[in-house]
Amino acid sequence: MATTTAAVTLTSDLLSDNMSVSASTTCMKAGTTADGLDQIEYGYVEVATGDEYDLIATTPTAAKASKLFVKNHSIDETYYIAITQNSQAIGRLYAGDWMFIPADFHDAAADIAITSNGGTNKVEYALFHEGTALTTT
Amino acid sequence: MATTCTISIGSDILSGFGGISESMTLTQAGTVTDIDSTTGFQRRKLSATSAVDLVTMASELIEPKDSVASKIYIRNIGDGKGNIDKSVGVTIGVNAEPIGKLYGGDWMMMPLTCIDADDVTATPATDDTVVLEFVMFYEEA
Repeated sequence: MATTTAAVTLTSDLLSDNMSVSASTTCMKAGTTADGLDQIEYGYVEVATGDEYDLIATTPTAAKASKLFVKNHSIDETYYIAITQNSQAIGRLYAGDWMFIPADFHDAAADIAITSNGGTNKVEYALFHEGTALTTT
Repeated sequence: MATTCTISIGSDILSGFGGISESMTLTQAGTVTDIDSTTGFQRRKLSATSAVDLVTMASELIEPKDSVASKIYIRNIGDGKGNIDKSVGVTIGVNAEPIGKLYGGDWMMMPLTCIDADDVTATPATDDTVVLEFVMFYEEA
């Protein structure tokens, strides 16, 4: 079985009792307890301002399990990428920000799209998934 | 007053994949100033398949600023009694748009718009008890 693990540590001193949360998960295929995600799409792109682009253009089969990591590697703190799924605005990743979400791509329109703002943003992404079949040319 | 978040991903799917290890300090939009508001850490127990709001943007005691650098962390901790079922999940959504399903033990860190319509929702796949932990960080409007 392929094994993919994702661990997080979150700390904050915004509250008087400082918060520290740590968690780790093994990323499994949908509905299973013994079979891990076994496909990956890993890339790095520079995204110019203007148009919206599909970051994940080839969607895995609906109802499959996927995990998506995206990081904005820009340095200028005023730069950001806007994230949308199926035309629904999710949020913004400013320079240095990252996100890690489940993404089950529930229909063909549910691609993850990004729009660059401020200047050309440098974006790293990794999709851990299952169930994608190549399409014939 | 710093809030930081670190991720480490390891995988043997691809032989050349060396893993991902990244850290971020949550800052206010377009600045290097630390983010200044939080909902605090919360737990929500769900026992039905109906969709519920984890965060109702218009009902926050302190109005979040729209379309900036807000983030939310959510984790499915199973039934809250130490039993984690990785085969059953909870679909997390924004403004009724399903984002993805958190199976038992899974976690997510996601940016948010905090626009009033963009509530964060949770929809369990079954009526078995499941507990979500979550915390939102945002800027005060």
